[in-house]
Amino acid sequence: MTVPEILERTRAYVRENFLYMRPDFPLGDGDRLLAKGIVDSMGVAELLGFLEAEFGVMVTDEDITEEHLGTLNAIARYVAPRLRRTDAA
Amino acid sequence: MCGFAGVAHSDAQGVAPEMLARMAAVLRHRGPDGYGYYAGARVGLAHVRLSVIDLAGGAQPLSNEDGRVLIAYNGEVYNYRELRHQLEAAGHRFRTQSDTEVLVHAYEQWGEEMLARLNGQFAFAIYDRRSETVLLARDRFGVRPLHYAERGGTLYFASEIKALLATGDISAEPDYAGLDEVFTFWAVRPPRTPFAGVRSLEPGCAAVWRRGRLQVRRYYALDYAEVGTEAPGALAEIDHLLRTGVDLRMRADVPVGGYLSGGLDSSVTCALAAAQSPYELRTFSVTFNDPQFDESAAQQAVARSLHTRHAVQPIHGSEMAEAFPDVIWHTETPLVRAAAAPMYLLARLARANGIKVVLTGEGADELFLGYDLFKETAVREFCLRQPASRWRPRLFDRLYPYLSGDGTSTAGSRGGEFWRRFFLDAGPADDPLFSHLPRFLLTSRIKDFYTADMRAALAHADPLEELRASLPAGFRAWSALNRAAYLEMVTLLSPYLLSSQGDRMAMAHGVEGRFLFLDHRLFEFASALPTRSKLRGLREKDILRRWAAGVLPASVAQRPKQPYRAPDVPAFFGSAGRPAYVAELLEASSLAQGGIFEPAAVAGLVRRAEAGRAKGVGESQALVAILSTQLWHKQFVQTPVVPPTWTLGRADVALQDEVSVAT
Repeated sequence: MTVPEILERTRAYVRENFLYMRPDFPLGDGDRLLAKGIVDSMGVAELLGFLEAEFGVMVTDEDITEEHLGTLNAIARYVAPRLRRTDAA
Repeated sequence: MCGFAGVAHSDAQGVAPEMLARMAAVLRHRGPDGYGYYAGARVGLAHVRLSVIDLAGGAQPLSNEDGRVLIAYNGEVYNYRELRHQLEAAGHRFRTQSDTEVLVHAYEQWGEEMLARLNGQFAFAIYDRRSETVLLARDRFGVRPLHYAERGGTLYFASEIKALLATGDISAEPDYAGLDEVFTFWAVRPPRTPFAGVRSLEPGCAAVWRRGRLQVRRYYALDYAEVGTEAPGALAEIDHLLRTGVDLRMRADVPVGGYLSGGLDSSVTCALAAAQSPYELRTFSVTFNDPQFDESAAQQAVARSLHTRHAVQPIHGSEMAEAFPDVIWHTETPLVRAAAAPMYLLARLARANGIKVVLTGEGADELFLGYDLFKETAVREFCLRQPASRWRPRLFDRLYPYLSGDGTSTAGSRGGEFWRRFFLDAGPADDPLFSHLPRFLLTSRIKDFYTADMRAALAHADPLEELRASLPAGFRAWSALNRAAYLEMVTLLSPYLLSSQGDRMAMAHGVEGRFLFLDHRLFEFASALPTRSKLRGLREKDILRRWAAGVLPASVAQRPKQPYRAPDVPAFFGSAGRPAYVAELLEASSLAQGGIFEPAAVAGLVRRAEAGRAKGVGESQALVAILSTQLWHKQFVQTPVVPPTWTLGRADVALQDEVSVAT
C-alpha cells in the first residue's frame, strides 16, 4: 500500500467519524488533528483502533505522540514503513 | 422557602387576582403548603409557600403594621433572630415569629442598605406604597432565582421564568446569544437568559422600580484581597465560621437533612449537622451502577461514622432519561451535562422521606480551590513558563491519570501527549480567561452542530469577549488562581450549579437546599487566604482538610476529590432502553422546528451514539445539549405555558386594595 493510499483511507475515516458534523471543514493533510479540535482524547483511542484494524500496525504507547500521529501526513509516514515490515513477514 | 411572582404597572390600572393566580400556579412545586396574593392598583404580589419557619404565622404576602410595606419572599435569612433583636431595640413591633417579618421591618429601618446586613440565601420583592417603589433583591451568590421582563411600561417578575410566560403577556422567544453562552460556559450568564427579553437579576444585585423605570445596582461584589501568609488563628477562625454557619442553617421548624456525596465537603457539612441535630440526621445519596461514577462505599462509610439514617437513590437504568423532560421544565435552560437528573431524583427521594430542608457541601470547591480546573491552571502556567521543558507537561499525567499514556487498560488512557498538548495550546497565560479556555473551547465543540441559520444569527456574538469585558476592575491584580476562582463563581457556580443542579432540582419537589460554604463570611475568609493555604502543591482544599482532620475519620478527611459526574450518552443510549421522546426529538423534522442544530450532523451523532462510539467529552456534551435544547424548545417555545390554577385552592392571604380592579 502506498503513502497516498494510506492517506486517503485515513482521511476518509477521520471525515466520517470526527468531521461528520462539519462536512465543509477544510481538512489539510498537514493540519494538527488535536489543536484544530478534530480529535479529542477518546478520538485518539478510536483512531489507534482504526490504524491497528485497517493497516495491521501495532502502535506502542511510546509511539503515541504528536510527531507520529499529530497530522494525516504524520500518520501516513508512521504507518507506511511498518506496513512494509508486516508485508515482508 | 417558596416561590413568588408579581407585576408592577406604571399607572394605577389595577392588578387582577386572576393574573397573580396564573403566575402562582406554575410555581406551585416551590410552595405546596400555601398560597397568597396582594392585588393593588399599581402592584400585585403572589406567593406560594413551603413552610419551614413559623409554620402558623409565616403566610405571605406579609405587610408591616400599617400595611404600607408588603413583601413576597423566597429563601432564608439565617441571622433573622439577631436582626430582630436590633429592630425591636429600635422600636419595631412584631406580630409573627417569621424571618419574613424581619425583612419588612429591616426595610423600614434601613431601606435598601438592609441588604448588607442579611446573612442568607434569598430573593424578594418589597412594595413600598409610600414611595410607590418595588425593590427586587437577590442574595450574594445567587442561590435563589429572580427573573423579570418589561413590556409596555409594566414590570413582571418571578422566581421562575415560566411564571412570566404564564401571564400571556411575555412571549417565549429564544435568545440565540444566550443559548450560545450555554454552549460555551455550560450556562447563560445573568442578566441574560435563554429567553429574549427575559432577564435574571444578577447575584449580589438589587433593582428598584420607580415610575415605570427599573434601575439595577450591585450591593455586593466578589473580592479576593489575598494576604501573604496564613494568620496563626486561621484554623480557629474556620472552625468558628463552619460551626456557627451550620448552627444558623439548622434553624427550621421542620427536620433538616443532608446530601452526602461521599466527598469532604458534604461530609463536613453532615458531620456538623449531625452533631447539632435534635433528630437522627437523615442523609441522602445518589449511587450509580457504573463504578466510574459511583461513590457508595465512601458514602456508606461516612453515614456509618456519623450514625445518620441513610437512604440512596440508585441510578441503574433509564431513570435519568425518563426524568429528563421534567428536569428541563424546571431548569428552563438547555444543559450540556445530564448530571442535573440524578439531583432531581435525589430531591424526590428526600421529599418522599418527609424532608424538605437539606444541607449540601456546594461551594467549598470554589472557595478552597477543590476542582481539578484549579490544579490544571497551576500546571499549565508552570509549563508555559518553561515551554521547552519536556518533563513539566508530565504533571498533567498526575492530574488526569486516566488521560495519560501509561498503557493501562481503558481506551481513553492512550494518547497522553496529545492531551497534554491540548492544555498547553489552549491559550496564553496573559489571557484573563486563561484558566477556563480549555473548558470553554471543549464546550464550544457543540457549535459544530449548529445550522447555517444559527451561525448567521450569531455572526456578531462573541461570548468570550463579552465575558472579558464584564470582568471587575480589580480582576487583573488578583492571582491566576483567584482569577480562576472568580470565573468559576460567575460562569458555573451561580448560573449552573446553584440553579440547574441546585435550586431548580430541589424545588421541583419542594425541597430547600442550604449551603454552609456559601455563608458570605466564609467566602470572605477563604478569598483572603494565601493561595497555598488552599492549593498546596497539587493537594486541594488544604486548610479545610487540616481542619477536618480533627473532626472526620482520616479516610474521609484525606480522600482525594472525586468530581461529581453522571453518565451522559449512556443515560440516553444505554442498554436499558430509552423513552420514545429521545428518538422523536432527534428526528430531522423535530430539529427543523428548533432550527438550531443541523439534522444531518445530528443524524451522524445519533448513529455513533447508537453504535456506542460517542464516548468523548465533545460528543457527550453535544448529545445532551441537542436533546435538552429540543426539550426546552418544545416545552417553552412551541407550547404555551398553561397555568393549572385549580391546584392553588383557597388563598391563605388575599389582600386587595379598595380600588376598581380591571379584570
